[in-house]
Amino acid sequence: MEHVLLQAVFLPLLLSPVAYFLGKKSGPNAAAWFTFGLLLYCTTIMIVPVFSGTYEEHYPWTKLFGEFGFLLDGLASPFAIIIYVISTVLVLFSKPYMVAKITSQFEERMNRQKQVVGDGSSTAMIESSSLKGYLNHQIGVYFALFLVMAMGMLGTVLATNLIEFYVFFEVMLIPAFFMLAFWGYEEKRRVALLFFFWTHVGAVVLLLGFLAIGLNVGSFNFADIKEHGIPPNILSLAAVAIIIGLGVKMAAFVLHIWLPHVYRAAPTPLNALSSGAMLGVGAYGFFRLLIVLLPGQYDHFALYLNLWGLITMIYAGVMALMQDDIRKLLAYSSISQMGYLMFGIGSSSVLGLSGAEMLFVSHSLGKVLLFMMVGAIILQVGTRSITKMGGLAGKMPITAVCAFIGALTIMGIPPTSGFMAEWTMFYGALQTAIQQGSTIRMIAFGLGLVATVITMAYILWMIKRIFFGKLPEHLENTKEASWYVTAPMMVLAGFTIVVGIYPDIFFNQIIPFMKGVMGV
Amino acid sequence: MAILPFDLSSSSLSGWAVWILPFIAALIIPAVAKISKRATGGVAVAFALASAISAATLLPLALGNNEIHNQVSWISSIGLKAGILADPLAIIMANVVGWISFLIFVYSTGYMKGDKDITRFWFWMTFFVGSMQLIVLSDNFLQLFFGWEGVGLASYALVGFWYRDKKKDHVGIEGRKVLGLVDYYSPTHSGIKAFIMTKVGDIMMLSGMFLIFAFAGTFGFRELTQHTEWATEMSTQHLLIPAAVLLFGGAVGKSAQFPLNEWLLEAMTGPTAVSALIHAATMVKAGVFLVARLGPLFFALAAIGINMDQFFEVVAWVGAITALLLATQGMVHPEIKKVLAYSTGSQIGYMMMALGVAGLSRQFVDGYTAGFFHLISHAMFKASLFMAAGSLLHIVGSRFMTDMGGLRKYMKKTYAFMWAAGLALMGAPFITTGFWSKDAIFAAVYESGNTWALPIFVIALVTAVITAFYTTRMIGMVFFGNKSKHVENMEKEGHHIHEASASMWVPYGILAVLTIGIGIIGLSFEHEIHRIFTDYLSTYFGIKSGVGIVAIESQSVLGGFLNGVNPIALTASLAAFGIGFGLGYIFYIGRFADPVKFVNSNLFFYSVHKFFLNRWYLNSLIYWAFVIGPLYFGRGVYRYFENVVIEGFNTGPQKAVAVGARILQGTQTGISQSYLYVFGAGILFVVLLLLI
Repeated sequence: MEHVLLQAVFLPLLLSPVAYFLGKKSGPNAAAWFTFGLLLYCTTIMIVPVFSGTYEEHYPWTKLFGEFGFLLDGLASPFAIIIYVISTVLVLFSKPYMVAKITSQFEERMNRQKQVVGDGSSTAMIESSSLKGYLNHQIGVYFALFLVMAMGMLGTVLATNLIEFYVFFEVMLIPAFFMLAFWGYEEKRRVALLFFFWTHVGAVVLLLGFLAIGLNVGSFNFADIKEHGIPPNILSLAAVAIIIGLGVKMAAFVLHIWLPHVYRAAPTPLNALSSGAMLGVGAYGFFRLLIVLLPGQYDHFALYLNLWGLITMIYAGVMALMQDDIRKLLAYSSISQMGYLMFGIGSSSVLGLSGAEMLFVSHSLGKVLLFMMVGAIILQVGTRSITKMGGLAGKMPITAVCAFIGALTIMGIPPTSGFMAEWTMFYGALQTAIQQGSTIRMIAFGLGLVATVITMAYILWMIKRIFFGKLPEHLENTKEASWYVTAPMMVLAGFTIVVGIYPDIFFNQIIPFMKGVMGV
Repeated sequence: MAILPFDLSSSSLSGWAVWILPFIAALIIPAVAKISKRATGGVAVAFALASAISAATLLPLALGNNEIHNQVSWISSIGLKAGILADPLAIIMANVVGWISFLIFVYSTGYMKGDKDITRFWFWMTFFVGSMQLIVLSDNFLQLFFGWEGVGLASYALVGFWYRDKKKDHVGIEGRKVLGLVDYYSPTHSGIKAFIMTKVGDIMMLSGMFLIFAFAGTFGFRELTQHTEWATEMSTQHLLIPAAVLLFGGAVGKSAQFPLNEWLLEAMTGPTAVSALIHAATMVKAGVFLVARLGPLFFALAAIGINMDQFFEVVAWVGAITALLLATQGMVHPEIKKVLAYSTGSQIGYMMMALGVAGLSRQFVDGYTAGFFHLISHAMFKASLFMAAGSLLHIVGSRFMTDMGGLRKYMKKTYAFMWAAGLALMGAPFITTGFWSKDAIFAAVYESGNTWALPIFVIALVTAVITAFYTTRMIGMVFFGNKSKHVENMEKEGHHIHEASASMWVPYGILAVLTIGIGIIGLSFEHEIHRIFTDYLSTYFGIKSGVGIVAIESQSVLGGFLNGVNPIALTASLAAFGIGFGLGYIFYIGRFADPVKFVNSNLFFYSVHKFFLNRWYLNSLIYWAFVIGPLYFGRGVYRYFENVVIEGFNTGPQKAVAVGARILQGTQTGISQSYLYVFGAGILFVVLLLLI
């Protein structure tokens, strides 16, 4: 097949109007299944070339920026696969969630109007028909935006050019902004702006670094930059710009300010998509832009990244212990997990880097499972406050089991993928510590392991408060979530265990690549 | 490797089957439950039996000092292999685990009858046994760690099995406070406690594993023995002892040794069958097994001039401290399961002590055999005791021994079996396994010739006295004296106190009988294990035993059926049993004195009693230092740093913009004159600039 990656990236964008019109004309089911089918097709055609090694496509673009290419190598393929797999399963999960969300927004609006008009009985018929119209319209918009977001994330990890990278990087923000502003909770508009502002600040800093590199090298293509090398006078400027720009995206300590707000306000599918895939794109940037393009600078900054990651993982882990809103808890958990990733990125060893990339895979699977659990609970119970829950395991067994597997993945307990990621990553950190004879790294390694205990504490405590204990009376009639929610959960739960037992699925691509990068 | 007398492929297959079969059972049990919930128990028992039989088919290998080492490719990108290592150590252990688990499973079919969450119960039980067998048969650290975390996970799930946290499933005394903390825990709380506390040990073990892997480049046990350059290099960098001690940290966590011992008591919130499994066959034995796995490996390094004494000293002392610490607490506690739990920790301490002392003595194999023999005998009698205790709980409906009393007339079989197993725990002379294994430990410690031998020996002796006392106390409180108010009330309400069903008493009956049966031939049984391990250690690790350094000395003293027994150790263990049993008899069986009055008679006894009952305050201190303190700290950080300083980055610019907007807004007066003024001033300014 030709132009596989071009199709995988641009089909969702080109067909997003179709999703909208399908939604508008035929309702949520049609739109959801169309989106699902489309993404499934794109995922499949993209996975096929992965098995035959590195795969590239090149297309002409403007003279100014260089060529427009897609590269699926050992680094990009795990990211690409996970991004599309997560997006695909989230489509199904989104359907019941968004229908419920949009319906409740509609009712809210109607109530407000009713209060103004002061008459309710005669409008019931009109209301139900107008609800249908409203719902179809909104759900169409939702799936169209969803497709664009998935496409933006995939494009970013496949890009072979700085400008291309930047464009896709920004493209994924726009749909996220609208989703947040349209279907968020509480102060959704304000938070949407906050989100856009901070991520944009990060992106602009990143762009500055890109321009500095591109204008000095004379080309924006990764390959050219790698070949010609970057002039030493702008090296550290470029590195710092990249680190800060991506640090905002990954929500590293201090730069994480936007994330808890966004996660509290965003609709759950967006939470899952952003935690499972979008944050990881920041990590991908570290690999592609810093480690591959600026190896000298990477050596220089590795230890600081390692320590920054350590602080992030411990700090956010402790913050997660303090939360009552599950989504805010998971927000801090995501920050903490991104800290793990950064810790691994700073490990300067093959297995450490491989483990960090594996951790992206495993964190995505685990965190998406947990967010689906949150979605299921919001749908079935209608609350996000942990103190109002308890004993739900008996009422929602499938959700409980899948969420528990997700929790194990986050905690890094075998046989889930989390363990494979964490042991390689921590081992890499230790290896570097021994090789360099660095006491700081040694201590960082030890504290990093302590952070896993903190992670375990907040996750287990969360699970206990949600699923165990006495069932409050108002939850007596809770039912298991629908198949739209539980089936995707089961798929991901199975996947994380398969990867945990047989990690070669991803390691076979990751490790040779990292060996090449580190020159081993 | 000698030529095997068997078809290699089939015996290696049964090696794999031992741990894979329980996992298969775990996978199919949820499916079976869809058809029939009651069938799940049958499936689990059948698979446990199949797994145990597979282990048994390996026994001839162990007796012939052969091993199976079978590998398959696993994480090929890192070059790691998965494999089974069925050497004599692993085979004997696998049989202990397999058969005792099987009996506990049979017991569970009776004990858990009618529980509506039976599917989950069987899933985790089979998962538990599978993980344990995985630990036993793994040929490398990484694979072992899968099993290691697997038992942690299963214990979390099973300790918190009754997740609805009903009052009757709690442990501890409601309303009692120690250092301001309640001493009363719910099942889910206890599950988390067990998981996190053992995880603390696990991260130590991980670091130890990684350190060794960083130098050796392999996780494999046999590879580590065959090439020892890694050890030389590590010891020149002073990393070998820390790595070994860190590895031992994993064992400390799993086996509930000091200072990570506190989870074991709360683990009593699980169903009693689970407690039996944790205490006799899986979980806590994993730590001892790990030390038994690693002990020879480290000891053999002496051959290349690396002294590992410090490591073995740590092991021995941790064992000794735990043995005493937990035994003293077992003396005073009113809950029967908790008494047994304390006793387990204490007995595991004995095993650790023996394994540690082994590395410090001239005769490695003596201590090694003693420790492992005690593991076997403890597995039998403790499983029996726990299951019997489960029957009592089942019938009486209370976990407190003060709610029992006088039951010997009603539950005759349980009474008899509990005596048999209890005597083994006490170390009743000549007829119980416990006596011989404990005696072997005494002898190993006494003969080790190490500087620490005497203090450790004294601790071991004191612990033995206490053990005999608390076991007698337990049996006395449960079976002797008058019926408690609780039992009388039950009878008034129409409940009839009766013997447990056959599926329950048969398993612990078998084990109790075995305890005595093996006890009678105890010495020759010990000699057989001794022989197997002597060959094993010299074949695979090159640890030669100096033939009869000690045995000859003692031969001259004792003859007949006590041939080869150290006379001092023998006297000591006889005395310990006599004193402990005697004291227990006076207070609890003969009831010549009232223990409550005795304790309250003077301040010293009272405060010692309170100190033991409050668990030496260790539990409360751990909670203050590692749970409550950090939570307070975290709350402070959240309130004053995250929500003020960090949030300031969000609200700061917002406010700045708002203020700026207000200033700008002020200029938008809408009055043409003021605009004109500013416009004129601007022109003037530009003109001035041009002029200058």
